[in-house]
Amino acid sequence: MTAAAEPDALTVEHLSVHYGGISAVRDISFTVPAGQVVGLIGANGAGKTSTLKALLGLVPRQVGTLRLHGQDVRRVRARDMVRHGIGYVPEGRHVFPGLSVEKNLLLGAYARAWDARTRAGLDEVYGLFPVLGEMRRRLAGALSGGQQQMLAVGRALMSNPRLLLLDEPSMGLSPKLVEGILAVLQRLNSDGLSMLLVEQNAKLTFEAAATCLVVENGVVAMTGSSQEMSRDPQVRRIYLGL
Amino acid sequence: MRYRAGGLLLLAVAAWLLPYQLNRYSIHVANVTILFALLAIGLGLAMGVAGQINLAQVAFFGVGAYATAILSTRAGLGFWTAAALAMVAAAAVGVLVGLPALRMQSHYLGIVTLGLALAFTNWVTNTQLAGGAEGISAIPVPTLPGLDLSDEYLFYYVELVVFAAALAFGLFVVHTPLGRRMRAMRDDALAAGAVGVEVPMLRLIAFLLASLYGGVAGVLYAGLIQFVAPETFSIANMFLLLAMVIIGGRQSLVGCVVGAVTLALIRELLVDYPTYAQVAYGSVVVLTVVFAPTGLAGLPRRLTASLRRRGLARRPAGASAPTMRPFQPYEPEPEPEPVDRPPLLHVDGVSMRFRGLTALRTVSLTVGAGEIRGIVGPNGSGKTTLFNVISGLYRPAAGRVALADRDVTGARPYRLAHAGIARTFQNLRLFGALTVRDNVLVALDTSRLRGSWRYAIWPVGVWRHDRELNARADDVLARFGLDDFAHTLPGALPYGIQRRVEIARAMARQPALLLLDEPAAGLNGDEVRQLGEIVRSIRDSGVTVVLIEHNMGLVMSLCERVTVLAAGVVIAEGTPAQVARTPQVIEAYLGDSAMAGDLPAQVPAEAAR
Amino acid sequence: MQVFLQTIIGGVSLGAIYALVALGFSLVYRTMGLVNFAHGNVVMVGAYLASTFYLSVRLPFGLAMLIAIVVTGLVGVVIERVLRPLEHKDFDLMLIGTIGFGVVLEAVAVLIWGATGRAVRSPVPARPLDIFGVRVRTYDLLVLAVAALATVGLVLFLQRTKRGAAMQAVAMDHEAATALGIHVGRSNAMAFVIGAGLAALAGGLVGPLLYVSPSMGGTLGIKGFAGAVLGGFGSIPGAIVGGIAIGVLDSFAAGHFQGYSELVTFVVFTVIIMVRPTGVFGERTVNRA
Repeated sequence: MTAAAEPDALTVEHLSVHYGGISAVRDISFTVPAGQVVGLIGANGAGKTSTLKALLGLVPRQVGTLRLHGQDVRRVRARDMVRHGIGYVPEGRHVFPGLSVEKNLLLGAYARAWDARTRAGLDEVYGLFPVLGEMRRRLAGALSGGQQQMLAVGRALMSNPRLLLLDEPSMGLSPKLVEGILAVLQRLNSDGLSMLLVEQNAKLTFEAAATCLVVENGVVAMTGSSQEMSRDPQVRRIYLGL
Repeated sequence: MRYRAGGLLLLAVAAWLLPYQLNRYSIHVANVTILFALLAIGLGLAMGVAGQINLAQVAFFGVGAYATAILSTRAGLGFWTAAALAMVAAAAVGVLVGLPALRMQSHYLGIVTLGLALAFTNWVTNTQLAGGAEGISAIPVPTLPGLDLSDEYLFYYVELVVFAAALAFGLFVVHTPLGRRMRAMRDDALAAGAVGVEVPMLRLIAFLLASLYGGVAGVLYAGLIQFVAPETFSIANMFLLLAMVIIGGRQSLVGCVVGAVTLALIRELLVDYPTYAQVAYGSVVVLTVVFAPTGLAGLPRRLTASLRRRGLARRPAGASAPTMRPFQPYEPEPEPEPVDRPPLLHVDGVSMRFRGLTALRTVSLTVGAGEIRGIVGPNGSGKTTLFNVISGLYRPAAGRVALADRDVTGARPYRLAHAGIARTFQNLRLFGALTVRDNVLVALDTSRLRGSWRYAIWPVGVWRHDRELNARADDVLARFGLDDFAHTLPGALPYGIQRRVEIARAMARQPALLLLDEPAAGLNGDEVRQLGEIVRSIRDSGVTVVLIEHNMGLVMSLCERVTVLAAGVVIAEGTPAQVARTPQVIEAYLGDSAMAGDLPAQVPAEAAR
Repeated sequence: MQVFLQTIIGGVSLGAIYALVALGFSLVYRTMGLVNFAHGNVVMVGAYLASTFYLSVRLPFGLAMLIAIVVTGLVGVVIERVLRPLEHKDFDLMLIGTIGFGVVLEAVAVLIWGATGRAVRSPVPARPLDIFGVRVRTYDLLVLAVAALATVGLVLFLQRTKRGAAMQAVAMDHEAATALGIHVGRSNAMAFVIGAGLAALAGGLVGPLLYVSPSMGGTLGIKGFAGAVLGGFGSIPGAIVGGIAIGVLDSFAAGHFQGYSELVTFVVFTVIIMVRPTGVFGERTVNRA
């Protein structure tokens, strides 16, 4: 019996990003199978953030294939990508500092009507991150780094995405907070959310993701299962330039 | 060059013969047009060349005219004496109006200067001294030996001579060090400060120049019409002036003149339909701003560029495909033993906070003279913030920065440049409207602005200084292999070459300390290798180098010592090999110190040295 | 004391107009990062349109204002569309572009309505009320009431509606906003139209207070702008406080210095701004990409 396999959450082929005269990303290809977490690691400046932004269309790109859950989204504009089920947690969080926590979360559901279902979504996020519920009226700019990170993740979840893109969620956070975020991510994944996790912190990524890609100077230098790669000295050498 | 001289001669002859073709009315129009041209040059110098929004130009015009009128009618002084004093008054007002420019720019400066212009009109409309709404009439006719200047034809020649001198002086300023610095400040005030331009004083000088031109126009106006009234110095005329400068091309003084003459003529043609004229020039301003921001003066260049793209215009003679030549290493200085190196840069307990976020937490480091130091760390660790504190862009919340034994904490970037610190920027900050050569020339110039009086009294000295700078620029360009690109604008160059231009510009000042902020970002393998050679040569010439980098391969092979920052704190310092094995560093990068496993005891490049 | 209070009251109603103008400036700056030097001229157009519908077409005052607001909003749409290519690029050029538009608007007003201007009679009885010994014109109260309503309406829109929240979000981080599905261009256009609508409202209200002429836009615009800057450019409460402050400052200057009132007002303004360039509430800096 051949059941129709669920299409990959994300299929990317021959992605290149070239702006300001620099080639940030050179011909990258990878997939995120449905329901899985894929990690993208590498040193800074390697092209990881550019890759994420290019997937969303926030920076100019050339791409051969780009499919979300089997659907061709090459021509979809950046502002419409969220309606195709893709959520984005930007590097550096990028919460709206002058708006309240609750307003930030509601804006995550901008692409939908602000109705009872959205309110239910709010409660779910507060369930995941109780501290956000306590601070719902506070201005986002007054939150600590860790709280802002939770807010950014919560905001992205409000659009009910099927694929979540995260850019360095651990940046600037203490190890304890990082563990907390990791726990949430694992829980979301077990509920069926696919993820593409971009990180500089290799250890976190190996724990969170089943597969990993190492990006160096805009190209994929290594891929493999997290288990293999966590033991591979090549990874360390790439990071430390040895 | 021959065409230019010929064309100029033709124009001069035409201008001299013009009055013979014109009747009484037209010569009056010509006289007023020349005054507008003078005002436009002044406005162009402040706005187009120095980048200062100056909506008070019409008030400078008014100060010159009214001061002349008041002094010659009320105080009984002769015309020329009154005129001289009026110039002093205009200059003083210019500097006063320029003071807000030290605190604000752009639209703030716009509203303040506009408000001050309104204040001026309000004052002269009300005060008895200035004749109130009726103004001052019966201003005495200026006299020159043997000439009756109440004759507008003769006055035309006086204006023409003054205009020619004023334009020549303006062009002289633009093409010499002072003008170059103003253009650099306009393109990027931050980078200008970093290469030693005294930005505050330069802003005042810009306003002073604008007010001098306004004052001259005002004096001539009083002499021409023998009557001054508030309506002439209205906001409507200010906007007309602005339109002239924008349509003509504010960055070119000749363009400003062309704009002034064009709009004055159009105004004359439509003299019976002034409102339609207003619609016309308002619309043209909008169209210019959206479609042709460089104005009429920029059209020839755009035309040739577009023709060249379609293969219809020839390239300038002798231009084979320009290439970057190899870097010519510096003469090495004898290198002291690492132990003997006196400390050059002292960072002592520096802390930096932004809105509750602590970016740097009591960071201390010492860099010995002649060292190549790398500063590394994961994203968000505070590396660029540290650089910005050292190079004067931020004032630290706590701590000290010292260069040799001089405390330079929080000193302005241009002072640090004079003290011997140079830097490059993470996101290239070249002066976009200046050629590569001009970029280097601005950095080479170490003269202080207070010596600018030479422009008025001793231009020959300025000329000589400029020639000397140009000779040295040739050397710098040759050393960095940039000869072929001397006359190119940075924006047209490939990224790798732009990076090299920025380094050349920084080195032009012969600094003691060179700060490089991610110099390898965006470079390919070959270019990174060349960069390494260049940095080594720079160090060999006696310069201390500190660089922030993510390209760990470059850091490991190039730097003698490495400081590692994470979350605003120094977590390790030592040789590359030592640092690479430090557990905290591995944890910061990879997330787990246990991944240190089987790293080599010695960095291969280190072993080879 | 009487005179003092009277001067303040006198300044507050004109100050409320300046506050509305300042609101328009600040809203557009805060959401789009654009400084619109033609804003004052848009006020003038609103004044002429409202007075035309009120005087010549004889519509009720309120309806005349409403129509004027709609038409002026269209003018705003045109200006934004034309200057859109410059929006995130050259700020100074965009500024100058709006100055150009202002010049055109003033000339067109002269072509349509002539240069002499007109007086607009007050829609409410002209006899002033006596409140605690201070004379207050009924119309002034009307102006204050309408301005207050407009401000409340604007604040409610920004804080309680989805589009209002989106408009603020775009100003704070337009890339993050795009990733959430917000149409940045449309949001900016809406902000501009609201700004123009506020200008038209100010224009319609100012008719019975000042003499309506094509050149009125200049002074109104400059004073409104000064008010916005004084209160903290981009801040909504700042615009109110700044606008009223300029009105009161103007009133005092006129009382003590008569003809020299503008001179005093602008010199005082310059000094305050130099001491505190970001204004009373601080500038709401815009994320200009």
